[in-house]
Amino acid sequence: MNKQLNRFATIIWLVLVILTIGTFLIGEEVTAGKSVMLSVLLISLIKGQLIANYFMGLRHVSWLWRGIILGYFVIVGGMIAIAYLN
Amino acid sequence: MPPSFVSINESCDEAGILGNLMNTKTVLVNETEDLPGDFAIWIFILAEMLVFGVMFIVYAFARSNQIEVFNESQLTLSRAMGTLNTIILITSSYFVVRAVFAIKSGNSRQSAHWLLGTIFLGGMFVAVKLWEFNEKFSAGITLETNDFYMFYLTLTFFHLMHVLMGMIILACIVYKLKNGDYSAEEHFGVETGASFWHMVDLLWIILFPLIYIIR
Repeated sequence: MNKQLNRFATIIWLVLVILTIGTFLIGEEVTAGKSVMLSVLLISLIKGQLIANYFMGLRHVSWLWRGIILGYFVIVGGMIAIAYLN
Repeated sequence: MPPSFVSINESCDEAGILGNLMNTKTVLVNETEDLPGDFAIWIFILAEMLVFGVMFIVYAFARSNQIEVFNESQLTLSRAMGTLNTIILITSSYFVVRAVFAIKSGNSRQSAHWLLGTIFLGGMFVAVKLWEFNEKFSAGITLETNDFYMFYLTLTFFHLMHVLMGMIILACIVYKLKNGDYSAEEHFGVETGASFWHMVDLLWIILFPLIYIIR
């Protein structure tokens, strides 16, 4: 059971590292633009959810706490997007 | 479906439908676990996230008035170093997860080793950040250079303070682990410290693209 949990956490870590490298490559290679900004914010939202649900262990607690973290990323990310789109 | 759910339902077959339903209800209720660690740390985490969230939004709207200044200044930052620090923090969060798994299995020695690894990675994060600060200060950049650098220095320094606070908290937990204060049954403190450290990571997940990447 513990081995399975460790392996699962390792997979999540790998996904997070890949998404981080993806963000870096977008920043290095792609010219700035609205779609780039939205893609990077979406990647951040996915990373935030992975950390909250699988690293912080919110996957097993009340939906309210998962909703708060998801809401946080959606609201803060959304406001950043609005500011950049203006 | 968790194994416990299946096994309890199977064991209820002989007790009849009512017993089965009652047990199923009990298991479903138990499936929602309590928050990991002390509830107070979660209030603290929400408060910290709120403060940082407001600062992120203020940064974004301040930028919309001086897009060129922000874009030009942002290009002077090392995205490679920002990425390196992100990978360091993500890896440190993974180490914390392993530390929690280890203490839940009753292995306090292994748990302490994972946390020492986390503290080491925290030290690496601090070293990279100080190198970045030194580079900027050496180039004559200060808080007053322009609004971008004011936000960059303030936000990253504020976050750095949280990394240092997290390292102190984890060092205290390692000390208690070595004293045998935590076990498979009692590891509340380890989960509390772990939750704080993950919050530091969570904040950086937004801070990194906002300051280093998005233009």
